Amino acid sequence: MSDSKKIFLTIFIFLALNVFVWQQILFHKPNKDTELYFFDVGQGDSQMVILPNNVKILIDGGPNDRVLGQLSSILSPFDRYIDLVVMSHPQTDHFAGLIGVLKRYKVGAFVFSGKKGLVKSFNDLEKAIKENQATVVVLGEGDKIKYLENKFDILSPSKNLLQSNEPNDWTLVMKMVSGGVKALFTGDIDSLVENSLIGKYYLGVDILKVAHHGSRFSSGKEFLAATAPKIAVIEVGKNSYGHPTKDALERLAFAGAQIFRTDRDGTVKLIINNRQINIFKTRPAEQ
Amino acid sequence: MKIHDISFYIASFFIFGVLIASLKLSFSIIITIVGLAIVIFLFIGYFSAEGGSASGGKKSQKIIWLSALSLFIIIGAWYYFWWSNSQIKNFNIIFNEKINFQGVVIDEPERGNQQKLIISLKSSGSGKILIKLQQYPVFNYGDIIDFKGIIKKPEPASYADYLAKDGIFGVVSFPKTELIAENQGSKLKSTLFKFKEKVIVVFQKTLAPEKSAFLSGITLGERAEFSKEFKEAMNKSGTTHLVALSGYNITIIANTMMGLFIWVFSRRKSFVLSILVVSGFVLMTGAEASVVRAAIMGIIILLAGQVGRIYSFRNAIAIAAFLMVLFNPKILRFDIGFQLSFLALLGIVYLSPAIRKFFKMKDEPGFLLWRENLAATIGAQLAVAPLLMSAFGYFSFISFIPNILILGFMPLTMAVGFALGFLGLISYQLSVLLALFLNFFLSYEVFIIKFFGQFSGLEIKSFSLWLTAIYYLILITFIFRYKFPKKFL
Repeated sequence: MSDSKKIFLTIFIFLALNVFVWQQILFHKPNKDTELYFFDVGQGDSQMVILPNNVKILIDGGPNDRVLGQLSSILSPFDRYIDLVVMSHPQTDHFAGLIGVLKRYKVGAFVFSGKKGLVKSFNDLEKAIKENQATVVVLGEGDKIKYLENKFDILSPSKNLLQSNEPNDWTLVMKMVSGGVKALFTGDIDSLVENSLIGKYYLGVDILKVAHHGSRFSSGKEFLAATAPKIAVIEVGKNSYGHPTKDALERLAFAGAQIFRTDRDGTVKLIINNRQINIFKTRPAEQ
Repeated sequence: MKIHDISFYIASFFIFGVLIASLKLSFSIIITIVGLAIVIFLFIGYFSAEGGSASGGKKSQKIIWLSALSLFIIIGAWYYFWWSNSQIKNFNIIFNEKINFQGVVIDEPERGNQQKLIISLKSSGSGKILIKLQQYPVFNYGDIIDFKGIIKKPEPASYADYLAKDGIFGVVSFPKTELIAENQGSKLKSTLFKFKEKVIVVFQKTLAPEKSAFLSGITLGERAEFSKEFKEAMNKSGTTHLVALSGYNITIIANTMMGLFIWVFSRRKSFVLSILVVSGFVLMTGAEASVVRAAIMGIIILLAGQVGRIYSFRNAIAIAAFLMVLFNPKILRFDIGFQLSFLALLGIVYLSPAIRKFFKMKDEPGFLLWRENLAATIGAQLAVAPLLMSAFGYFSFISFIPNILILGFMPLTMAVGFALGFLGLISYQLSVLLALFLNFFLSYEVFIIKFFGQFSGLEIKSFSLWLTAIYYLILITFIFRYKFPKKFL
């Protein structure tokens, strides 16, 4: 390359960089809608809520680093900040993916129910939280997370449930209200926990994250009657437990919910605006 | 015969001996083959000496030399048998029983959605074992771990051969683990591995996963983080070689180091320091065959410059192969990385110039060196084609297009990548700025790989040995016709 060509190329590169930076500053409008993602991470849970003004809440990270590919496909490559990372409960199909997230993204706060995992990989998570310098917040029944008109009510675990030996009972159950739409995040709770919520709270929602990957011991009839979801999303992948079970699928259908499954539909994206929900799937329905 | 010729033939015959031994022929057949070869050599030598002319005498002298050196075929074969016998003597493993055993991690674990550890047994026997584990909890080089599980023999036979080349005779899937101690390995190695990991974390923090994985591949040879889809795209577009470190990367590092050190130190000292840095890099990246090959050749190149000798590619290649085979004779047949590395290099060195002559390409390299890259890519791809087809059942005919489109930007991408790695260790904010710049190149390269990865190439289930032989015969004839009008032997 001749000298003049080099100079030309350098100027061109800097011009391109300038255009890029300024267009990010001037034309990058913050989102006004709430976006809700149910990531396809195989057999495990991972959801992300993006509230207006790009406030990001990641609930669980699935069993491995697949969540990273999902995040990078929806976030700008220069957006390296996640406001809240919530761990529903300390089982690897929910938290292992969070380790990679904490290593790569700056995280505002790490939210969990205060119960630590019994598996050894939980040490890797604790190390990653420490290195990330994220604030650790323990929440339980009765607590709230609020941002502008958007809020998350924590319905569970109660102090009693935290005494349980079953890690699924420690799940942080959250009810979100945003853009006039309600959604319930249930982690891995079973029917006993589901039923304990029925009398206590008004559970009616539009969107339900189906509990425990469609296990037969979750999504009880009474609970589905109380929640009456229009949209039910099952986060599930290849597994040996028979998830999602026929029983659960039938009860969901009976409750009148439109059912989505991440193993068939891929990542499910819901855009919420003024009581309206638009649904997108990454994998088209099979013919 | 001159000394450099003699050493070339010793190396070649030795390697040939190792090769026929590793084809699992018996030793007596090998001796018969060599004996026949010597008789034929001597026979020809005798009759050409009869001719009596001066050139005839020189020629016959050379043939007599060759017949004497053929003995190195036997030495090579013997070496292979001796080596693999002593390897088997050194292990004692209890198979197919649920047992407790303890081992130390002797190499950097392969990471990804699964961890693969290579351990050396410390209790319940001796030898090396491959252990497959979940991604978490993370184990490191130098960890001592208690396991409970069943050690199995690797299957199928080809996989067993592949592992046996590194002395690994057993595999365990998802045993119970208990960490006993840390940092029990070599200080140097664990420091280098930790440094590498830190650099990769910088890439991961500043770039999207696909791009950070690609950058880790081209700068450090790290391939654990690629998604299945991206790996397939690289295979289909014929660009996988970019993320396998090769002579290209080593040459860049060696030359840069030499250039830096020479400012401060004497020539001799800079030379030694450069070799140390390159050796450290090789160790850090896991001493893969292609990297070691490149490092040995790089050192020979530097050495040749140092002692003022004429540098001969033929000898450098032969000596590099000889040293590596001496260190582990099994790689010749069972390490596809070794085979690809040498064949591709031979293609670039001998086939590419012939191709340029054949197509009467101009001598100047062209914009972003496109002519050079085109000839090099086609040369290398043609040289490895049968190997790729028999190993992966796949060959891409359009691979030269993505390669030309990418190769021109590789030196800059790599250089900025290394700079990003170092800068990130100092300041995160500054590294983000540099990543912004690097992102342009990486986006472009990743896009090209994905775009050309959509097209199907030629899928072939098997490639017969005869066809392979004929194919290489044609290539060699082509080389002799266009690159060496005369003198090669």
